[in-house]
Amino acid sequence: MAFQFKSDVMWETLPLLTHGIELTIYLTVAGLLFGFIIGVTSGLARISRNPVLRSVSLVYIEIIRGTPMVVQALFLYFGVPLAAGVRISPITAGVITIAVNSGAYIAEIVRGAIESIDPGQAEAGRSIGLTRMQTMIHIIWPQAFKRMIPPLGNQFIISLKDTSLLTVIGVAELTRQGQEIVAVNFRSFEVYLTIACVYLCMTLSIAKVLRMYERKLSSRSSR
Amino acid sequence: MTIKKDEAPMIEIRNLHKKFGETEVIKGIDLSIRQGEVVVILGPSGSGKSTVLRCINRLEELTSGSITVDGYDLYDAQTDINYVRSEAGMVFQQFNLFPHLSVLQNVTIGLTKVRRKSKAEAEGIALKLLEKVGLPDKANSYPDQLSGGQKQRVAIARSLAMSPKVILFDEPTSALDPELVGEVLDVMKKLATEGMTMVVVTHEMGFAREVADRVIFIDQGVIQEEGDPASFFTNPSNPRLKDFLGKVVSH
Ligand SMILES: Nc1ncnc2c1ncn2[C@@H]1O[C@H](COP(=O)(O)OP(=O)(O)OP(=O)(O)O)[C@@H](O)[C@H]1O
Ligand SMILES: [Mg+2]
Repeated sequence: MAFQFKSDVMWETLPLLTHGIELTIYLTVAGLLFGFIIGVTSGLARISRNPVLRSVSLVYIEIIRGTPMVVQALFLYFGVPLAAGVRISPITAGVITIAVNSGAYIAEIVRGAIESIDPGQAEAGRSIGLTRMQTMIHIIWPQAFKRMIPPLGNQFIISLKDTSLLTVIGVAELTRQGQEIVAVNFRSFEVYLTIACVYLCMTLSIAKVLRMYERKLSSRSSR
Repeated sequence: MTIKKDEAPMIEIRNLHKKFGETEVIKGIDLSIRQGEVVVILGPSGSGKSTVLRCINRLEELTSGSITVDGYDLYDAQTDINYVRSEAGMVFQQFNLFPHLSVLQNVTIGLTKVRRKSKAEAEGIALKLLEKVGLPDKANSYPDQLSGGQKQRVAIARSLAMSPKVILFDEPTSALDPELVGEVLDVMKKLATEGMTMVVVTHEMGFAREVADRVIFIDQGVIQEEGDPASFFTNPSNPRLKDFLGKVVSH
């Protein structure tokens, strides 16, 4: 039996994926929101003067970067609740996984951007009497943030794609929903092609939005 | 015209030592600078001139010795170092203007964040200072739209905004094209005649001769020679100074 591509299957599949798309977006947005908070906090901790903060954040970053996200998801969904004696939903575990995972990479982005700012900037800030904190907020951060945008955009795209790995803990996101549809209609070519297109649309949108934001930022200062 | 000079020391450095790791860069410097005095520091590259200035602002931690600025012991735990820093302005060779802020904001940020002045009041002060350094029309420009000389004059306005007791200049004209040096030196001369206490590291011998009350020659981490510019330049006794002056004048 020769394979026959049926484009109408793609159009039929698309509406069946709305739930999965919504969930993927939810996981990405919620995960990255917390991931950003974790990332900024541990990125700053990584360059703080306090050696305890420095090593705690370093250990966190190394563990996350050195282990696969699938294992992190399994551990957070099955392992931690067992040890802690609580139950969490797959979606909650999914959000936590994305947050904890992206947080480590964002921490390195934050640290890298801050360290890339000429030390003369901090010295100039300190020499007019700004405190360390004020220097960070008013002088270093605004300049560093601009440099963070491209790598952050990259990380957002990676995290979006990584939500597909959450199928292992049974989160009914886009990829999982595709698998379920294929189990019924056996049209794996068309269904996975549709899903790939949907992911591509989402990643391209992120890239586009961030480019627009970057342009807006650079036009606001130093025209 | 002579300005009356108060005799209480504005900066008092006693037996300053500074090591970077194992290498001792400053090997015991004593220096007392009166209010209103203009002190020019000369010395070959790597002799520790910047390090001395940076210790006065505590951008660098000293290894031993003591420094007081306007009577505040910089290394006393009681001293609010941020306050003392705001009283001792610093002008850098590379300007270090804040590129994400307009010229006006570069000058007002210290006023609003450190001196807690209102935005309107800060802008009033800043505009006057920009006028003083000859850049009244650049308030809304950004640093990357300015020439080096203009940048350095903004940097001077930025430190003047804090009404510092002393301004430390670390080779303020060394990064400038030769034709832009004059405009910055003119601003510095104006400050000197107004009675500002200034410590200036520079290779501009003309400025030293004309404006300095005292010239100090640092080499190998110690003060080798010190005196008023007239005697300092006309009959240097120290062979290292002779050598140094010979090199500087010839280039
Ligand atoms: N952060 C640092 N770590 C290690 N060594 C340093 C540091 N800063 C300065 N030094 C060294 O200390 C010595 C004095 O440096 P400093 O910058 O004070 O010299 P300088 O007289 O200002 O020289 P220049 O005319 O080149 O500016 C140099 O040998 C320099 O290499
Ligand atoms: Mg120097």
